[in-house]
Amino acid sequence: MAHVKAKILNKEQVAPSIFKLSLLCPEIASSAIPGQFVHVECGKGKSFILRRPFSVYRQASKETFEILFQVVGKGTESLAEAEVNSYLDIIGPLGNGFKLSNNCKKVLLVSGGIGIAPLTFLAEKLYSTEIIFDMLIGFANYKKVIDFSLQEKIADRIHYSTDDGSLGLKGTTVELLLDYLKQSKKPDTIFACGPEPMLKQVALIAKQNKVPCFISLEERMACGIGACLSCVCNTINGYKRVCADGPVFDASEIIWD
Amino acid sequence: MNLKPNLRVEIAGIKMKNPVMTASGTFGSGLEYSNFIDLSKLGAIVTKGVTLKKQTGNPGPRVYETPCGMLNSIGLQNKGVKNFIAEDLEFLKKFNVPVIVNVAGNTIEEYVAVVEQLSEKDVVKGIELNVSCPNVKSGGLSFGLNVKSAIKLTSAVRKTTKLPLIVKLSPNVGNIDEIAKGVEDAGADAVSLINTILGMAIDPQSFKPQLANIVGGLSGPAIKPVAVGMVWKISKAINIPIIGMGGIMNCYDALEFFLAGAKAVAVGTANFIDPEATIKLIEELEEFLTIKDISDISDIVGQVKV
Repeated sequence: MAHVKAKILNKEQVAPSIFKLSLLCPEIASSAIPGQFVHVECGKGKSFILRRPFSVYRQASKETFEILFQVVGKGTESLAEAEVNSYLDIIGPLGNGFKLSNNCKKVLLVSGGIGIAPLTFLAEKLYSTEIIFDMLIGFANYKKVIDFSLQEKIADRIHYSTDDGSLGLKGTTVELLLDYLKQSKKPDTIFACGPEPMLKQVALIAKQNKVPCFISLEERMACGIGACLSCVCNTINGYKRVCADGPVFDASEIIWD
Repeated sequence: MNLKPNLRVEIAGIKMKNPVMTASGTFGSGLEYSNFIDLSKLGAIVTKGVTLKKQTGNPGPRVYETPCGMLNSIGLQNKGVKNFIAEDLEFLKKFNVPVIVNVAGNTIEEYVAVVEQLSEKDVVKGIELNVSCPNVKSGGLSFGLNVKSAIKLTSAVRKTTKLPLIVKLSPNVGNIDEIAKGVEDAGADAVSLINTILGMAIDPQSFKPQLANIVGGLSGPAIKPVAVGMVWKISKAINIPIIGMGGIMNCYDALEFFLAGAKAVAVGTANFIDPEATIKLIEELEEFLTIKDISDISDIVGQVKV
């Protein structure tokens, strides 16, 4: 892992309140694996102090990577205001990513909202393998939907859902998953990222269908490197650190509240 | 011609290359930070609180950001002293840096048992008694809120070990100077202050507290004026050294603590923001003293002009 200054090469607003930053940073771009994240200083000199974690969205080249983020508070608001050609203070790549077992022949990527970020990186890696993969993408409404032409190009099949039915199935990602499992051949692994209530349901459905499921969790973080013990999740093996033991966990390990 | 200023200090018999330590609970046992900095460059490493038996800590969410600070309610999650000795101390042996172990407990007997085990280890150069963790009763807070119990605990541990004994005091009391004087009389070699300040944050949307534990300890720049004030007040009440901490982000923050009367400083929350914060602080201090033509860091301790 590295602690570096990464140059912002490009900033793009891809949907209302959703931004994509392209960062020049060979140290991270060359070594990150899908599911890993970076810890970004968002408010130098401002009244908020902690870094913010963001999954790596794309490994654009050996020198550049992208993050996709939604403005949800002061930190992300400040990041959205960062200027092209300025530098961000970043630590990364951090955490453990998605692992593909040798048994993986057909996998399913299930994303809710901005949870699409780490799964897109995974999708790009899967594209160069023999593994068949479908993607389920859920968003609140059509306005919040980003341009998924990249994902459509690489995934074998994509199904969408929106809460208001403005794109794809009217309903949640969980309903989309249930619908998919009724109609398609069962995948041998599910990888998921999204809001916790969604992940809880996805984990349950995977368990009922006896499909191994790996999820990327999010939790409030301070250090991001495993020292402060802030970002724990409850597992059958006790509290584990989302930043250093995760963020990707075997869903069967998690004790949901 | 400016010579390199002397940054070496001695706190309670612990010889340090410089006066910059880590604040307990913010640095683990250094393992994670060893990916970013050379631990041997630190004045001392103060490890995360260790208890007799393994503790699981509080449920999440355990952290919440506040203006210029953060609330935490980790709850002293640790693997117990036996595992700490086998794993963390083994790791720390590799570095040429004094190790000070922060010790917490439910009872005097538990503190004594932990300190006994640690006292046998060469790598341990000092003990910091945690009588001030606001997140769990077993953080010893019950000892740190009351003069008599603080004295009783300090005396018991004093009899147990010859190691330098530092007592980390709670700011969540009205009579911190009396408690400081009490532990000095009971045999403490130094005091560290301040621990986090008890606080709370509430989500106005859900009406729920932001921390699962409801309340937590506030740290970061937000608490620095409180910490500096307490260091200044207590430096006049006691004769043993003070290790100052609370929101130190850079050299200028640290200088306030030295001027108020601290002989050394500890960096806490800043480590989370910049894993290299301690090393940068040491370099900045050296540069500041050089520019100011001050030959020894100790020359500015307590030199605030009031």
